[in-house]
Amino acid sequence: MANSGGGAVCNGKIYSHKKWDGSQNGNCTKNGIVKEVQQNGKPHFYEKPVVESFEEAPLHVMVFTYMGYGIGTLFGYLRDFLRNSGIEKCNAAVEREEQKDFVPLYQNFENFYTRNIYMRIRDNWNRPICSAPGALFDVMERVSDDYNWTFRFTGRIIKDVINMGSYNFLGLAVRYDESMRTVKDVLEEYGVGVASTRHEMGTLNKHKELEDLVAQFLNVEAAMVFGMGFATNSMNIPALVGKGCLILSDELNHASLVLGARLSGATIRIFKHNNMQSLEKLLRDAVIYGQPRTRRAWKKILIMVEGVYSMEGSIVNLPQIVALKKKYKAYLYIDEAHSIGSVGPTGRGVVEFFGMDPQDVDVFMGTFTKSFGAAGGYIAGRKDLVDYLRVHSHSAVYATSMSPPIAEQIIRSMKFIMGLDGTTEGLKRVQQLAKNTRYFRQRLNEMGFIIYGNEESPVVPLLLYMPGKVAAFARHLLNRKIGVVVVGFPATPLAEARARFCISAAHTREMLDTVLEALDEMGDLLHLKYSRNKKSARPELYDETSFELDD
Amino acid sequence: MATAAEQWVLVEMVQALYEAPAYHLILEGILILWIIRLLFSKTYKLQERSDLTVKEKEELIEEWQPEPLVPPISKDHPALNYNIVSGPPSHSIVVNGKECINFASFNFLGLLDNPRVKAAALASLKKYGVGTCGPRGFYGTFDVHLDLEDRLAKFMKTEEAIIYSYGFATIASAIPAYSKRGDIVFVDRAACFAIQKGLQASRSNIKLFEHNDMADLERLLKEQEIEDQKNPRKARVTRRFIVVEGLYMNTGTICPLPELVQLKYKYKARIFLEESLSFGVLGEHGRGVTEHFGINIDDIDLISANMENALASIGGFCCGRSFVIDHQRLSGQGYCFSASLPPLLAAAAIEALNIMEENPGITFEPRKSDCRLH
Repeated sequence: MANSGGGAVCNGKIYSHKKWDGSQNGNCTKNGIVKEVQQNGKPHFYEKPVVESFEEAPLHVMVFTYMGYGIGTLFGYLRDFLRNSGIEKCNAAVEREEQKDFVPLYQNFENFYTRNIYMRIRDNWNRPICSAPGALFDVMERVSDDYNWTFRFTGRIIKDVINMGSYNFLGLAVRYDESMRTVKDVLEEYGVGVASTRHEMGTLNKHKELEDLVAQFLNVEAAMVFGMGFATNSMNIPALVGKGCLILSDELNHASLVLGARLSGATIRIFKHNNMQSLEKLLRDAVIYGQPRTRRAWKKILIMVEGVYSMEGSIVNLPQIVALKKKYKAYLYIDEAHSIGSVGPTGRGVVEFFGMDPQDVDVFMGTFTKSFGAAGGYIAGRKDLVDYLRVHSHSAVYATSMSPPIAEQIIRSMKFIMGLDGTTEGLKRVQQLAKNTRYFRQRLNEMGFIIYGNEESPVVPLLLYMPGKVAAFARHLLNRKIGVVVVGFPATPLAEARARFCISAAHTREMLDTVLEALDEMGDLLHLKYSRNKKSARPELYDETSFELDD
Repeated sequence: MATAAEQWVLVEMVQALYEAPAYHLILEGILILWIIRLLFSKTYKLQERSDLTVKEKEELIEEWQPEPLVPPISKDHPALNYNIVSGPPSHSIVVNGKECINFASFNFLGLLDNPRVKAAALASLKKYGVGTCGPRGFYGTFDVHLDLEDRLAKFMKTEEAIIYSYGFATIASAIPAYSKRGDIVFVDRAACFAIQKGLQASRSNIKLFEHNDMADLERLLKEQEIEDQKNPRKARVTRRFIVVEGLYMNTGTICPLPELVQLKYKYKARIFLEESLSFGVLGEHGRGVTEHFGINIDDIDLISANMENALASIGGFCCGRSFVIDHQRLSGQGYCFSASLPPLLAAAAIEALNIMEENPGITFEPRKSDCRLH
C-alpha cells in the first residue's frame, strides 16, 4: 500500500501523507490525500493520483454555527413555554380527546428539534414538482401563511428550474420519447402490478431477462433484482450473516445498510470513514481475539462499504480494502447505489474506476433509481451466492417482485449504456458526466468554497455550516430558478450542514455556468467562501483552444 | 516514661472500646474482616489480554478459516426452478408455457389488466417518465403522490395518508417509527413476516397472544397492568401497542375488531391495523375491516395497507389522523431514505381507486366466489 513520497506540490494544492498511527485528533487539518492505485502486479489502469479532500472550516465559522444553534434552542424553549402555557396558539396536531389519558405517543424532547428549528426552514424540503426530474423541471409554488406549519399551493408553477438535486446522473429520467417505446409496449401487455412474490407467481420472463443483463453489465456470474433499493439491503443482509458473524461497517453507511446489519443479529463494529488503519486494526483484533468473552472464532467477517458516499462525495478506497480483505480472509459487500452508472470509464462502478477485477468483491449491491431512471435494486456476484439468495432472501419469499414496465425501463437503459442498442450514445453520456463533474468541481474550488469528497465523484457537497445560511441559500437559489438540495442535522453532523449537488450528464455547459454564476453571487452575499487553499490569481485554462488577451 | 504513656493510651483505648456504641464496633469489625478478605483473595484483571507475541498473532491470522459466504444449496431446490410467467399475471396466466387459471396471485379485484388502469399509467409515463430519482424530501415529491395521498385519505375517511414505495417496507417502517426500546407491543402469533421485521427493528418488548384469542390478549394486558402498578413512573412513559391484521395472510381469518377496540380503551393501548389483504375486499365500499364491523375509523390509530393486492399497483400506504401520520414523514425509514414511488404506479393506483369508488359492487365479487368455493 505505497503512497507517493514526500510532499509534492501541484497546482497550489499540497499533497501529504495521512498519519499512520491511526489516531485522528480533531485539531489536525486534513489535507488532500494521495492514493496510488495498487494492483498487486497488474498494470495500472488509472495512472492519475486520486485526490480527496475534507477541509476543515475556520474556527470562527464553527463558533458562529454553534451559537446559531444555541440561540435557536433558547428561542425554542421560550416558544415551547409560550405554547404550553397557552399564550401562543399551538398549530401542531394534537391527540384525540378520548385518548388524552393514554401514554403520550411522542416524548416532548424527541420532537424539540423538529418543532423549533426544523419547522422554521421546512419549506426547503419536500418541494413538489410536476414534471419529469430531468435537467430542467417544474416546481409547484407553495407559500405558508403560518410560518411553515401548513402550506398551500398558489397554483403557479415555476417552470424550467435547473435541477441540481435529483439523482439523475446519466440524464435518463426524462419524459416519454420514442426510445421508450418498449416500456409502453410492456405496460400495455403486462399491466402495472404483479401481485405475487418471486417464489409464487411473481417471476416474469422480464425479470429473468433483466437479471441476465445485469450480470452481463457487471461482468459477474449472476444477479437477482428486487423491487426496492432500501429493501434490497435490509432483507438480504440478514440472509447472508447471522449471529456469530461480524460486520465491519463504515461510519457513514446508509440507513438501509445499518438496518440490514441490525436485523441480521450479527455483531457490528464501526470503522472510521474510509480509514484503512482503523479497518485493519478492527480486522486484526477480530481474527486474533475472536468473539468477545467466549473467544470463539467468528464464523464470517463481512466488510460493508459504499461505492460513493452520498453525503460526503467520497469514493471508497477499494484497492486497499481488497488487499486487507484478502489478507484477513473477510468478505466484501459493496453498495453501489450512487456509483453504478456514474463512475468508471464505461459506467460500471467503482470496480472499473480502480481497474480491479470483479472477482475480488464478494457481493455487489446497487440500485436502479439513480443512474437508470427507474426503481429497484439488485445483488450480484458468484452464482452460488445468487442461488442462495433466490432461496433464502426474505424479499423473494414475502415481498412483491418488480413491476414489469420498470423492469423494461432498466433493460432499455442498461442496453443504452452498454451500447447494445447499436449506438455509442450511452458511452458519450458517461464521459459527459465525468467532464461535467470535473469542470464543476474545479470551478467551485477556484471560487473558494469548501467542497468535500473525491475529485471524480458526481456528488458534490458544498459546506454551509450555519442553519440560517442553509435556508437562505436554498430560497435564494429557487428564486433564481435553480433547485438545490440542502441537508442538515440529523442526516449530517450538527455543525456541518451542506448543500449537495448531483451533476448530471444532461446538464449542458450553459446550465452549469448559470449555476456557477449564481453560486458565486450567493457565496459573496452569504459569505460562504471559507476555503483557505491558495488559488492562483490567473484564471485556469480549461479546454480552450484559443484565448484572447483582454485589453 | 514512654511505656507509661503508651500504657496510659492503651488503657484509654480499652476504656473507649467499652464505652463505644455497639454499631460503631460492629462496623469496625466488619471493615477489618473485609480488609482481611481482600488481602487474601485472588487478584483478577478486568480485561483478559494475554500478551501474544507478534509471531503468534501472525500465526492466528494465517490459521483462521471463515465459513464460506453462503452454504451450498442443492440444485433441485424448488425455489431455484422458478415458474416463469410470460405475459400478464391476470385471471388466466401463462406459466412455463402452459395457460392456467390463476388462483395464486393476490389479484382480488381483477384490476391487474384493466384497460383504464393501464391507460392512466401510460398517461403518467408520457408526462413523467419512469423514475423519480430522489427521496420525498429531495424533489421526489410529485403532484401525483400528493394526489394519491389525498384520495386515499378521503376514501378511508381519515385526515391524512402517507405513501411508501414498497408494500413490505410500509408496516416494517411504520412500527419502528413509533415503538422504541422499552415500549410494549402485543401482537398476534400469526402476524405476517413484514410485521415481524418491523417489530424486530423497533427493539421493543414483544408479547405474543394466541391467534384471534381475545381472552389471551386480555390476560396479557391484565398482567401488564399489574406490572405497571408496581412501577408507576416507568408505566407513565411506556407506550403500548396492539398490532393486528385485518385479514391474516397466514390463516385467512378476520380479526375481531370490536373486542379489540374495547380492550384498547380499557387498557389504554393503541391499535395498529395492517390491512393489506382486507383493503378493497371487506366492507361495503372496500374500506376494509373497520367498515366491515362498522367501527369509527378514528378509533384505530394507524391503518397500514399495501397497494399490491386490491389496487393492482406497487407500494403501500398508512392512513390515520395527522397527529399520528405526520411523524412518519421524518422518522419512517422506508419513507425518508428511499426513492419515492414511480409516478406511473401512483397514477395506476389512483385510477384503480376511482374504479373502486365508482363500482362499489366490485368488492362483492371475490366474496361471492369465495362462498361458492367453500
